[in-house]
Amino acid sequence: MARTRSRRRHQLERAVTYPLDWLEERSGLVGAVKYFLFRKVPHDTNWFHTLGSATLTAFIVQLVTGVILAFYYKPSPDEAYASIQMITNDLTLGWLVRGMHRWGASVFIILLFLHMGRVFLFGAYKYPRELNWLLGVLLLVLAMLEGFTGYLLPWDQTSYWATVVGINLNATAPFAGPFLSDFLRGGQEIGTETLSRFYSLHMLLIPGGLIGLITLHVYLVIRLGVTSPPWSSDPAGMERTEVVTARRGLVEPRSRGNGPTGVRGRPQL
Amino acid sequence: MSNERERAYFKRYKEDVETRGKPFYPYAMFHDTVMSLVVVSVIVGLACVWYFTSGEEAGDAGILGPRYTEEADPGTTSFIPRPDWYFYFLFYLLRIFKWPESVVLGTVGIPTIALILLVMLPFLDRRRERRIVRRPVAVVAALLVIASMGILTYKGATAEESLASENVELVDEWVQVQGLSEDGRQGAELFAQSGCQSCHTYLDSGSANLGAPDLSEIGAAGQSPEELAAYIANPAEFGNQVMPAYADLGEENLRLLGTFLSESKGEGGGG
Repeated sequence: MARTRSRRRHQLERAVTYPLDWLEERSGLVGAVKYFLFRKVPHDTNWFHTLGSATLTAFIVQLVTGVILAFYYKPSPDEAYASIQMITNDLTLGWLVRGMHRWGASVFIILLFLHMGRVFLFGAYKYPRELNWLLGVLLLVLAMLEGFTGYLLPWDQTSYWATVVGINLNATAPFAGPFLSDFLRGGQEIGTETLSRFYSLHMLLIPGGLIGLITLHVYLVIRLGVTSPPWSSDPAGMERTEVVTARRGLVEPRSRGNGPTGVRGRPQL
Repeated sequence: MSNERERAYFKRYKEDVETRGKPFYPYAMFHDTVMSLVVVSVIVGLACVWYFTSGEEAGDAGILGPRYTEEADPGTTSFIPRPDWYFYFLFYLLRIFKWPESVVLGTVGIPTIALILLVMLPFLDRRRERRIVRRPVAVVAALLVIASMGILTYKGATAEESLASENVELVDEWVQVQGLSEDGRQGAELFAQSGCQSCHTYLDSGSANLGAPDLSEIGAAGQSPEELAAYIANPAEFGNQVMPAYADLGEENLRLLGTFLSESKGEGGGG
């Protein structure tokens, strides 16, 4: 009896591990996921560090609801408004999908700013994470553009006239301005061409860019690790003598300035 | 800051994390999961409040605004050009700078400078210091940015809207002050109803937006009704890239508007 049970168990384990081993041998993906999950993070990592993944969650909500909306939305001036009404009022749970997409955009932007504020507060843009700050700024700009292009799609008065003015404001930029406005408008007036362009930018180009940049962004976070909070009494990476004095709370570590590296009189920025 | 010291710091960081850190799973991942659930709940909550407090009618707003406004119509002009709330701070910048001399500062200048500073931040602030009390300049700069963006967003959100129904009641007064002809009077009614005053002020009514000038004395320069009508039909032709084209109003309406504007010579020059 006992022997058969252990044999079954062995078979079961094999059924699970075999495909995993197969995958690992051919791709190394299992190892990568293991590394991601079991990598060490600073011991003082806290709730502030969740803002990045929260932003990613909001983005995923936008992706999922956006795909569903694209099933029903019709990007032509004759049908766009009616399809938005149909999605909101007639489609089962369509109101929820559109509502989540609409308000998810705001939540996404708010979280981006909060996340950026956290990184600034923690000084987490400093060496060696400068590149990731740059990627973050780029992500913020793309997210705002996503908001601008998505605003036109319901094709109601608010979205139409906001876009008219938005495109006109673009045109005030020197050199590239008028060219950019003509490109966005796709003609003399805002119409079929404009809606197609905004739809394409909103659905393909900008989200594609966002997905690629987010992947890079997260890769760099995993590679470089996250910064300890600035108020931590034992932040990862602090010089040992500084840690000791900071822990005792006797002397401000920086003002001593006689550590092994002889830090003294830094300019204040 | 020498590169060597930076590298030494990062090496120490890696060692510290390895020896005294905690594994991402389950500790940090627990926090992340809880936070993500909160985010999704908030989004669903907002969608519910938005939907259940608003009605099917266009413009029937609930706590979080209407589901949609009327269908887009290039022919009607009674519009209020409003972006989504996170563009309010940019939108309000345009009220500070007046068209045409300086509005480019608001549309392009200041946003570009802000973006360049944002991109350059890690290269401007190269010290290793992370503690907040030791970064007075950074903290003050951050507070100033937050305060100014907050104020601009608030001002943009509460900026007064000009209502066509209120403006129309002022037409009689305008006729008296400016001594308008019958055509001028009809033009004034069009002017009040067509949303011109979403951006232009006229004899202390309407709201100044996007750097649009006050039109109380627009006729004082002696432009003919035809010239003014041509301008309204396609402002871009006259180098005004911000104002939308109003050719859709039709020739007769444009003529009336042109007459009204050319007769508007300000409170001093009535008749």
